[in-house]
Amino acid sequence: METTARPRAVLGAPFTRRAWAEAAYCLCGFPVAVIGCVLVVVLLMIGSGFTVSLVGAVLGLLLVVTATGLARVFAGVHRGLAASLLGERVAAPPAVRPQGKAFTRLDARLRDAAGWRSVAYVLVKLPVAALQLYAVGWWLTGLVNLSAPLRWAAFGQRPHPGAEGMPTITPVPAGGGAPHSTTFAGTFVAAAIGAATLLAAPWVTRGIVAVDRWLVRALLGPGELTQRVRDLEETRALAVDDSAALLRRLERDLHDGAQVRLVALAMSLDMAKEGLGADGEPVADPGRLRRLIETAHTNAIEALSELRDLARGIHPPVLDDGLPDALATLAARSTVAVELAVNIPERPTPAIETIAYFCAAELLTNVIKHSGARRAVLRVIQEEGLLRLCVTDDGRGGATPDAGSGLTGLMQRARTVDGTLHVSSPEGGPTTVTVTLPLHA
Amino acid sequence: MRVVIAEDAAVLRELLAQMLTERGHEVCAAVGEAEGLRAAVAEHRPHVAVVDIRMPPTHTDEGLRAAIDVRREYPGTGVLLFSQYIETNYATRLLAEGSVGVGYLLKDRVANVAEFTDALTRVAAGGTALDPEVVTQLAGAGRRGEDLETLTAREREVLALMAQGRSNAAIAQTLAVSAGTVEKHVAAVFGKLGLAASQDANRRVLAVLRYLGP
Repeated sequence: METTARPRAVLGAPFTRRAWAEAAYCLCGFPVAVIGCVLVVVLLMIGSGFTVSLVGAVLGLLLVVTATGLARVFAGVHRGLAASLLGERVAAPPAVRPQGKAFTRLDARLRDAAGWRSVAYVLVKLPVAALQLYAVGWWLTGLVNLSAPLRWAAFGQRPHPGAEGMPTITPVPAGGGAPHSTTFAGTFVAAAIGAATLLAAPWVTRGIVAVDRWLVRALLGPGELTQRVRDLEETRALAVDDSAALLRRLERDLHDGAQVRLVALAMSLDMAKEGLGADGEPVADPGRLRRLIETAHTNAIEALSELRDLARGIHPPVLDDGLPDALATLAARSTVAVELAVNIPERPTPAIETIAYFCAAELLTNVIKHSGARRAVLRVIQEEGLLRLCVTDDGRGGATPDAGSGLTGLMQRARTVDGTLHVSSPEGGPTTVTVTLPLHA
Repeated sequence: MRVVIAEDAAVLRELLAQMLTERGHEVCAAVGEAEGLRAAVAEHRPHVAVVDIRMPPTHTDEGLRAAIDVRREYPGTGVLLFSQYIETNYATRLLAEGSVGVGYLLKDRVANVAEFTDALTRVAAGGTALDPEVVTQLAGAGRRGEDLETLTAREREVLALMAQGRSNAAIAQTLAVSAGTVEKHVAAVFGKLGLAASQDANRRVLAVLRYLGP
């Protein structure tokens, strides 16, 4: 498969959406880069020039601050281009809105790290953009050369005296070595060179864009600390939502389950009591009484079992004896054969054990419900201070974490403690889901 | 008495139907959701409908909404709502449509079948049956007029029982006093609330509304 796929990928590269988008990115980015860089550099130079003198210091600093602000604006444009054309989505750094006295505000703006990173990007972007324009040149020269026979045929361009024929353009300086077409047949050599250039163009573009992608991620994002805060805010919201949803489900289960059973139980007991009549009176219809008491009994048993399931859903008591015991119970209850391998020398904190347990339970449920597997392997190991829980099955595969499969919920739950969830599930199987959690929440 | 039951828990629905049938009432239909209730009332024109507030599909207040629709379309049909919890908001919405032939009980009250059937009969006959908890909550909402402050503790107790829809005889039994004493208290309540006897208003209902009302 691979051997046929690879040449096709190489030959098809100029016709892919990605290649076109990257070329468009190179083309659009250039004017923005030039204008941005010139403006920011001019402002910075004038600004720093002023700061040398004591009188102009304030004005100079204001200009510098304007430069960082402007750099942020241009960074925003570049971020937008990268997002729409490269699919490189980087969150914007939060805006700086300092409060207080003019001097404090100026100081805060001068210390705006994201602003200075924007300045850095705008400066570096100029040479990168120049290279990107050069990459676009590969596309153009490729097209021009490819059309050489057409041009010859259309315009009948013939070598006029003194000229050496129709020139072939090359993206790489070839000195005098670039062939000139002097005959119609010769133009096909130019066309071949053009085709080769066009085949290479996407890869040249891709290489230069890759550098830009890296710069965009490193310089245009919100910065590590801000990103961390953002992640924490997001996962905190997930955790709060999760617990609210849990409580709602609990109420719902009680309302529709045990509460109804108990009302019915009380009701049939009262009906039975009425049927017994007063003290000493003979019972009119013992058969009806028996049926009522049977109903009451059934409802009591049902209520008990529903309450037990509910309690276990909140916290499985066996988890108090540690994760290995709990997982063994879980594996034993599964209707699919589960091979269990647990090796956890250091006991994780209870919160982690609970999350790991519920992940394992949900993953095994998925195996039973969706995979059509006959065997599953549940492996839990501890390595590098992390708890790695891995469920593999021999089912049909094709599981995705975004199909509302419950995997999304697990992923969110894992994220609340900085854990991750990874799914590998090619069509036809096997499916492996790996949950990695820290040992301490 | 012809009854329609709307309750999504099958266990309870069947037991209610069985209980009412055994007591000689006719259960025309027992349904599991609000749409079914509307259809059943339109078809059978029952004396009273027993309606669970929380039913599919949203499990919020579709029972209440269906009940209000039924009251508007078929004013002669009594509606007894019941639910696992008492919500003041629901009681207010229900009573805003008038207090004739309505009831709102905690589901637990079904456990006393005799009292529950009494309440149902009362509602079917155009009376009111409010759970003591509804009464407490509404009265506690602090919207009562100043004239209620002039009632004695005993008179207020009598009024609270009236609000639950009880007759004088039933109140006398509950408080373990004579019927005459209750009549005296009721008259005092009417007097203090300034409700003169008249042809075109039910003083009893007016007093209760004053007690509960906004």
